[in-house]
Amino acid sequence: MKKGDLLQVCLQNLFRHKARTILTVMGVVLGCCSVIIMLSMGIGMKQAQEQALSMMGDLTIIQVYSQGKGKKTSKITDRTMETIKAIPGVTAATPRLTADQLPVTVYAGKDRRYRCLYLSAAGIRADAAEQMGYRLLEGSWNTAGQDRVLVGQEFAFLFEDTKRPEGKNVKEFGEEPFFDVMKTPLILEAEGEGGKKLTWEVRPSGRLKEDFSKGMETSGGILFRLEDLQRMIDEYQRSSGKPADRKKGWNAAIVKADHIRHVAEIEGKIRKMGFSTSSMESIRRPMEQEARQKQMMFGCLGAVSLFVAALGITNTMIMSISERTKEIGVMKALGCQVHDVRRLFLLEAGAIGLTGGILGMAVSYLLSAVMNVAAISGMAGEMGGGELLWAGEAAAMPVSVIPWWLSLAAVLFSALTGLAAGYYPAKKAVAIPALEAIRHD
Amino acid sequence: MKKRGKPIIQVRELWKIYRMGEEEAAALKGVSLDILQGEICCIFGTSGSGKSTLLNLLAGMERPTAGEVRIRGAQVSRMNEEELAVFRQRYMGFIFQSYNLLPSMTAVENTALPLMFRGVPKREREEEAVKMLKRVGLSHRLGYYPGQMSGGQQQRTGIARAFASRPEVIFADEPTGNLDSRTTEDIMEMIIGFARRYRQTIVMVTHDPDMERYADRVIRLVDGVIVRNESTAVCYKEAFSRRKEGQA
Repeated sequence: MKKGDLLQVCLQNLFRHKARTILTVMGVVLGCCSVIIMLSMGIGMKQAQEQALSMMGDLTIIQVYSQGKGKKTSKITDRTMETIKAIPGVTAATPRLTADQLPVTVYAGKDRRYRCLYLSAAGIRADAAEQMGYRLLEGSWNTAGQDRVLVGQEFAFLFEDTKRPEGKNVKEFGEEPFFDVMKTPLILEAEGEGGKKLTWEVRPSGRLKEDFSKGMETSGGILFRLEDLQRMIDEYQRSSGKPADRKKGWNAAIVKADHIRHVAEIEGKIRKMGFSTSSMESIRRPMEQEARQKQMMFGCLGAVSLFVAALGITNTMIMSISERTKEIGVMKALGCQVHDVRRLFLLEAGAIGLTGGILGMAVSYLLSAVMNVAAISGMAGEMGGGELLWAGEAAAMPVSVIPWWLSLAAVLFSALTGLAAGYYPAKKAVAIPALEAIRHD
Repeated sequence: MKKRGKPIIQVRELWKIYRMGEEEAAALKGVSLDILQGEICCIFGTSGSGKSTLLNLLAGMERPTAGEVRIRGAQVSRMNEEELAVFRQRYMGFIFQSYNLLPSMTAVENTALPLMFRGVPKREREEEAVKMLKRVGLSHRLGYYPGQMSGGQQQRTGIARAFASRPEVIFADEPTGNLDSRTTEDIMEMIIGFARRYRQTIVMVTHDPDMERYADRVIRLVDGVIVRNESTAVCYKEAFSRRKEGQA
């Protein structure tokens, strides 16, 4: 038989018992729908988690700390950095130096008119800054030169005008700062323990975007080249009469992985080297596991209903075959080949599955949209119309997400379920002898 | 033109034994016969005589316990289902007592069914079906479903279907069993007419002794044994003269 003829006969048979066919298809629609919706909720949950995590920080950044106390401390040295960089999956690594022990006052402007009493300073390798996720609002990455720095987004607001009276000597956020931080050289001054004053002059070459997951320096601080900050600390310590501890290495480093997948593995390797690490992975992993468990559970629930639908198809087909026993006999007597009989019944079952799948997909998209609208309006109500800074972003997160591959897979799966459900009935149909045509009843 | 007189169906020592629990019942006890090409062969017998069993074995619907059936030299009794299906598509047609039209198909679609199984394209086979239906006088019922037609019309559709693929052998199982006497006559005339025209062999099972007048060969079965097997001269002559008319 020709394929078109098979299809036509199949459709004729399905249309003959409209009510029965529609009911069976509805079973598949429900099954397909529950699989899609359940899984889409799992995916939505995972996406929401991921977004929440990425708001907390970059998922591919690993913080490395030296471990132990006193002399047993395993410091991070240049050699350590080389070893870490050689780990597969690591795209960048840099020591991270903070200058908490450095009591610095920053001056700017003519005659040191503007003063900032507190400074968060950090130093990293200049070439790694961009890869580590630091972003610039203005200026350029031209940090190669000595004493070029990147200032934090709100750094200019930390300055007070020494020529104005108390209460009027600072600018609020949103106002125009006293000076253009990009064009003003900064003078850093630190007083050693011996009373000797040290000064350094640096020039900003860019303004960083505020990102607290990177560190305070992106907001109200300065990001130095590692060597510059190191030199400043060394000089300060020398002036205080202490030997520079530069040779011992650094206390912290940051490592960037090329993909979330590699984070755990890289962390393990760094730990083996004797350092402690932390990354979003330690939070993300259990969350992901939980999400996966829930998704599995949801998926299984959906699959159960699709399985019930498959039983429905089998039942319908068996009924239809026992009604059509004589017909099948006649077809065989008239020369219909065995494989055509099998195809005909598989096709009928598959068509029910496919139709149910496609309708199920359409219904799922509709349901999903309704769910999301309901969830967003519900959340907005709870949050009092988005008062919180978070509400806007969190509310925009849909509860149910249907990626294209899920709907496609669900339709295919429904069609396959139909075919599988038709396997046994088709076998039964094939076994009906041509003799049935002659049997009188 | 094929000459009449060549055996198209050959049956040798055909046995069919049914097993019913402990008991065995022989429906056919060593039947042998030849049916010639172009013959109209009627198999008579009461119910239980084994006539239906013989038809089933001839058409390959059942397997014999022993013996063989050959059609056109091919061993029908040894074919597997797939081979049988192809053989039926090419060489066999069926007319059933209860018409056996598919209820979901129109008269045209039903008539075209054997051609569809053979893989003939839709347009071609439906043209042929319409031609056949016109010949059986159903040009006004082409798009009708079986449920909308009388028994006689349904059987005429059945005849159109059996002849549409021009099979060499047509098996008919009590083709007029469900029809009244007037319709019976019409139907038989039609079957015989087509068979003569296309030089087809008809094997018909019936218990109606009136059918004998249409037959070229009469076979009577009693308890699974052939008690009569003869070419009927009268019919032969009649048929011969009819053929002449047809040619003229």
